[in-house]
Amino acid sequence: MLVSLKAFAPELTLVGFLSLLFLLDGFVPKLRENRFPLIWVIVSCFAAGVATAVGKGLSGDFFSGLVTETGLVAFFRYFFFFACGVTAYVTLGSKEIEERGRSEFSLLILCMTFGMSLMVLANHFLMLYIGIETVSIISFVLAGFNRESSRSNEASFKYLVYGAVSSGLMIYGISLVYGYTGALSYPAIAEALIKNNGTHPFVFYLALVMIYAGFAYKISSFPFHFWTPDVYEGSPTPVATFFSVGPKAAGFGALLHFVLTALSQKQEGGVFTPIAGIQLAPVMALISAATMVVGNLSAIAQTNVKRMLAFSSIAHVGYVLMGFVVMTPAAFSSIIFYLIAYCAMNLGAFWIVGIVTDEKKGSELSDFKGMGWRTPVMGVCMAIFLFSLTGIPLFSGFIGKFLIFGNLIQSQSYLWLALLGVLNSVVSLYYYTKILRAMWLEKPESSDSAELRLPLSQLVGLLGLALPTVILGLFFSPVLEMAQRWITQ
Amino acid sequence: MAQLPILSLMTFIPLLGMFVILALPKGKPNMVRWASVIFTGIPLLLGIWLYFNFDRTTAAVQFVERVSWIKAFNIEYYMGIDGLSVPMVLLTVLLSFLCVFASWGIEKGVKGYYAMFLFLEAGMMGVFCALDFFLFFIFWEVMLLPMYFLIGIWGGKDKVYAAIKFFLYTLAGSVLMLLAMLAMYYYSEPHTFDLLALAQNHTQFLNKTVTLFGAQYALDKILWIGLFIGFAIKVPIWPFHTWLPWAHVEAPTAVSVILAGVLLKMGTYGLLRMNYPIFPEATLWASTAMMILGVINIIYGAFCAMAQKDLKKLVAYSSVSHMGYVIMGMASFTTAGVNGAVMQMFNHGTSTAMLFLLVGVAYDRVHHRWIIKPDGSKGFGGIASVVPVYTGMMAIALFASLGLPGLSGFISEALVFLGTFSNPKYQSYVVVGSLGILLGAAYLLWMFMRVFLGPLNEEHKDMTDMNWREKLTLLPLCVLVIVLGVYPMPVLNLMGPTLAKLLSALGVA
Repeated sequence: MLVSLKAFAPELTLVGFLSLLFLLDGFVPKLRENRFPLIWVIVSCFAAGVATAVGKGLSGDFFSGLVTETGLVAFFRYFFFFACGVTAYVTLGSKEIEERGRSEFSLLILCMTFGMSLMVLANHFLMLYIGIETVSIISFVLAGFNRESSRSNEASFKYLVYGAVSSGLMIYGISLVYGYTGALSYPAIAEALIKNNGTHPFVFYLALVMIYAGFAYKISSFPFHFWTPDVYEGSPTPVATFFSVGPKAAGFGALLHFVLTALSQKQEGGVFTPIAGIQLAPVMALISAATMVVGNLSAIAQTNVKRMLAFSSIAHVGYVLMGFVVMTPAAFSSIIFYLIAYCAMNLGAFWIVGIVTDEKKGSELSDFKGMGWRTPVMGVCMAIFLFSLTGIPLFSGFIGKFLIFGNLIQSQSYLWLALLGVLNSVVSLYYYTKILRAMWLEKPESSDSAELRLPLSQLVGLLGLALPTVILGLFFSPVLEMAQRWITQ
Repeated sequence: MAQLPILSLMTFIPLLGMFVILALPKGKPNMVRWASVIFTGIPLLLGIWLYFNFDRTTAAVQFVERVSWIKAFNIEYYMGIDGLSVPMVLLTVLLSFLCVFASWGIEKGVKGYYAMFLFLEAGMMGVFCALDFFLFFIFWEVMLLPMYFLIGIWGGKDKVYAAIKFFLYTLAGSVLMLLAMLAMYYYSEPHTFDLLALAQNHTQFLNKTVTLFGAQYALDKILWIGLFIGFAIKVPIWPFHTWLPWAHVEAPTAVSVILAGVLLKMGTYGLLRMNYPIFPEATLWASTAMMILGVINIIYGAFCAMAQKDLKKLVAYSSVSHMGYVIMGMASFTTAGVNGAVMQMFNHGTSTAMLFLLVGVAYDRVHHRWIIKPDGSKGFGGIASVVPVYTGMMAIALFASLGLPGLSGFISEALVFLGTFSNPKYQSYVVVGSLGILLGAAYLLWMFMRVFLGPLNEEHKDMTDMNWREKLTLLPLCVLVIVLGVYPMPVLNLMGPTLAKLLSALGVA
């Protein structure tokens, strides 16, 4: 038990800080007036990160097999704590979250981070479901954070309805799997599946599809992506920033974990092969293709930048899903690399959208007019983030695509998917440059062409995200090697 | 050999210049301009040094710099030049330097303009020096970024459309190249991006198949096509040329010069650097198709040029036509033809740069470029009497362009036709292709007549002749055009051994 608690230390740290904030918030009302809660979030994320680093080396199943520790889990913890910390930092400078709402906001994102950790830790369907629901319920609240805004309320409600449907499907799927294999823990499911020697009843495949619905909702993959644009557009920008990175990565982490432990066998040399009778590749290829095509084509027509980036985030899910088609250790480390690159560039892009929204009270394309000339640093950073999202060399997004397409080509199958993928990135260039066009190629309206000075904290933060985007585009091997270690541990 | 990493210096000094310029104080445009002169001047000087120190007796790559960059993928920082790249490198540094002067009149966002311009030069240099495909690809793509902004911010009326069209077309080509690059890496043993090693072991791509959309294709042909489309868009080969008139016309003068003078050559350079040595069998298989495309380019470009009322558009289409000669020469598979093609790449770079610069000179003065205005009235007309120096320069440029003996264009076009004719397979193509010369003479002379000769259009009677800056910008090109027309050996000697090796690998004696 004690060992289990030790393995759970990062989450415990998070919960500890969370409860303290809760108490402080109740007893010292003065604290809610200033920046304290957000700084508290950054501190707790940092502490949780330290706890992860200290607990490194523990591996195996804990809490009677409910959770498991692997290198992969450690990576996703770092990822979530980072994303959460950055979100808090972004919110510090944002006007969209009112001052008096900051402590609720802080509590909620901390709690959500805790839920995301649970999702990835889970080695058992019950734990997974608890994690997913923790994240979902808090997401509903966060999406509706601006109580006065009807858009925000609508976003929250839409999120709730889609969430209810997909988690309903998922839990039904889980019950079917339980009926078939008699197990809820991943390794036990794998064992039961291996025994059946490649013949599974139809209902099992149906159950898999239903379970995928739960994941698809979280990562916003086709056909459960419809909520994404409405929610991103409706929720306050800092919230959308967090949604576009945090829960998405949690969904991928949980899916990765599930596929690797419940549906695959580890062979010698670290290669995972699907258990006999389970063919994920063709289905994943189709889902991946549909996700990126739908995301990219829908993004073209958008005039609201938040909505556009929401569709773009769907398209990126399509690229990442390509890694699930190949299923080699190299592909998994490509997924991890892609998520790291995506984290920095997407957080950055959303952050800038937030800054513009604060300045112009809107996030339409026309609000971006001439912004590059008004704040050149921000304009250059946005160019870096968007070109990186497109996948143009020099930036980390290119390396992400280079690795993922490379895996497909190396596998010598699904070349059509690679072809579709690269053509999609050409399409994505078109809408990303719409933002750049507004920022640089068009003049600001004469009424507000004055230089817009960003506070130092924002400049530092933006450069802090832009620099890794460039550096990872030129020297990616250390991170890639780290990703390989995380996968094999 | 030289200890100095001269190619890296030539590539990264402009990049350094970009950062220096961005750091310069605001509101001092002249300081920015002179800084650009310095940061393009140093590479030019290095280029001149390179010209005199380049060993003309060997086909091996020279001035090699080779450092492992990303071990996991065997990617190297591998720079080096051979006879194929040297003319292009020289063209790049020369035109970049001259274009700094040609951009002197830009007033809006001077800092940003020159920063982007220097960034562009770094990208171009890198493309011609890189011998590692990954490195090549990075430079190739990186060039698009400054180009997008240069056209989109400092361009003409339809700049936004022109910029995105250029960007989308080129990116579409390069993503296919990316896939081909990845396939070349994963299908080669050992996995490598080293272009010379890939060319050395080119047989390993033979007799393999890939499955695409349920059908089997020969690996080398698929890869050849992927690369070809990527390069063809840049050349541009018909039917991928539609971005060109827009980009050339909307871009500011200096950027048009770089586009036509250097960027188009990257396409044909890429074909000769990759398609030819790495997939020789597929190249032979596709050579007739290339020949046909080359002829279409020549004729189609010429006819389009003939129909233009806008001077700059005429020059733009003439580029399409002239790049057709390059394709034709390359597809001829003869020594004379390929030599002529590379020579034409260089010569077209100088002559078309002159034409674009001259069009820019006129535009700066009268703010239009109409040969005939859209409403049918006279655009220019008879301005030879007010701007004699300008007229003389234009005459040299266009005679060089249409291939008048004694000027540079003649040599390369003659070589191309000579080579193509000596291949019995293609004699009939020469007959059709040589019509292009006739058409070229027609549209250029007709343009000359309508713009410079005849009665003076009174609107332009106050037009001033070229100033010292413009004259000095054009002078080096003018000298090159005349000298290479009389004595082409300086360029032919540079590339001789390299092309001989390339051709012998292709099975051409």
